[in-house]
Amino acid sequence: MTLFVFIPAGYVVFLSLLRWNLIDVNAQFVGLGNYVHLFASQSFQQALSNTLILGVGLIVILLPLGLFLAVLLDMGLHGTRIYRTVMFGPYVLPLVASGLVWTLLYNQNFGLINQVLAWAHINGPDWLGTNGFALLAVLIMTVWQYLGYYMLIFLGGLQNVSAALKEAAAIDGANDRQTFWHITLPALSPSLFFALIICTIQAFQTFDQVYVMTGGGPDGSTTTLVYYIFNEGFQMYNIGTAAAASMVLLILLVILTLLQVRLGRRWVVEE
Amino acid sequence: MAAKRRLTRLAAHVVLMIVSLGVLLPIYWVVVSAISPMSAIFSSTLHLFPTVFHWNNFVRAWKSQPFGLYFFNSLFTNFAIVFIQLITSCLAAYAFVFIPFPGSKAFFFIILMAMMVPLQATFIPIYLMLSQVHFINTYQGLIVPFVGSAFGIFLLRQGFVSIPKEVIAAARIDGASEFRILWSMVAPNAKPALITLALLNFVWHYNSLFWPLVATNSTDVRVLPVALSYFLSQEGGSNLQWNLMMAADIFTIIPVVLIFIFGQRFIVKGIASSAVKG
Repeated sequence: MTLFVFIPAGYVVFLSLLRWNLIDVNAQFVGLGNYVHLFASQSFQQALSNTLILGVGLIVILLPLGLFLAVLLDMGLHGTRIYRTVMFGPYVLPLVASGLVWTLLYNQNFGLINQVLAWAHINGPDWLGTNGFALLAVLIMTVWQYLGYYMLIFLGGLQNVSAALKEAAAIDGANDRQTFWHITLPALSPSLFFALIICTIQAFQTFDQVYVMTGGGPDGSTTTLVYYIFNEGFQMYNIGTAAAASMVLLILLVILTLLQVRLGRRWVVEE
Repeated sequence: MAAKRRLTRLAAHVVLMIVSLGVLLPIYWVVVSAISPMSAIFSSTLHLFPTVFHWNNFVRAWKSQPFGLYFFNSLFTNFAIVFIQLITSCLAAYAFVFIPFPGSKAFFFIILMAMMVPLQATFIPIYLMLSQVHFINTYQGLIVPFVGSAFGIFLLRQGFVSIPKEVIAAARIDGASEFRILWSMVAPNAKPALITLALLNFVWHYNSLFWPLVATNSTDVRVLPVALSYFLSQEGGSNLQWNLMMAADIFTIIPVVLIFIFGQRFIVKGIASSAVKG
């Protein structure tokens, strides 16, 4: 563990101070030059903002929607198991496989999405090939892939909320909505907190679906941080730049996690 | 009141059905596309149901790349990863729960931190380290970075904690060695956690593209996600064989679908409880 997490983390700091193309025996020490270069680079800024947009988008959609579906599944309806199985299904599929499917669905001329839109007399865009739409398309596909996972996390949390507490609230005259906001939601805060952290990490890891569906394009509009690192390091062989970008990713994740833990301390209600 | 209740339940059913259909549609579409001729895929009018069935597409897709070898590579490396992780996670979790040692709290915190660091942030140095020992383009290269798992230690620790410490103490008095206690008392009691870990790990590693893409480029050790991704980049252009690609998609996902069907109980429990106990 130490070998594969902490030593690399140290090594990456060292590499980020070099200019090196992986093959050359002599690497040139450039100090913080890579970082200066990185933050001045348009494509890096774009990758950073794409990743943040994707992250915010995923959190804003997946968490409330997952919670909503979990609440519905917690009502004890007939067929709950079937709904749950269907909705969780995509999570176990390889992102590559779903990426290929969605590439077909998104196709401008014969993709299912545009055919359905055409049926409603809407001329669908070239989803993956248009600057404004491609990131949205990746976001939608990612939501499809992960929705069931978040639903399951919240369902686990909901089933842990004590029924006695809810009953007591009902006896005290609270309606369903009041019970949800004042009893269920606070009791669910550990799950929410966990989901927030996992969702952030997942967003920052985004790579597979981008690699398959868009290759980071068009014009870098779907290039995520990880895709940028991969591209710099293993396509262009700028190891120093890639390592510096890895450092940014690492530091961002640490900061975000610590921030969330700190926030979590304040509003997570432990039983 | 009762009428309103029934209405709410009906509305819930409608919402769940719509979402379920939305989730299923892409999956249904893979199957339809996989058995269609290219002409049907290119047709600009909407055909929700296939009219002709080209089952032969599966055979053609299988023969388009050495999928037999790729299946072996994927399954072999993943079984190895799962097997090794079960052992290392068991040992580490056992130490954390039953063997008090100085700094165990600090170590556990370090492991929690490591869980937050994805491979995507540290893969360049790992690549360089492995290339120094000539592990690139080998099975070892695909396996070695995953011999230890923070998640595994975390999950098994939860399973082990519920085992009463008195039982362990009694076994020690009877002269049982630590390994014996782990093997014949602790592990059997934590079976659900072990199965969950094995299944989840298999699914994650079987599905992941990133590391195999970085660590291999020869076809000898290529795994399925990489092979699938090559469908797009190699064939490219307008003569892309969409139907074969979807057929390959289908046989690639068979192992995880089987795991999902038969191991759903464990996977669902594992995920649902990870947040609650965490």
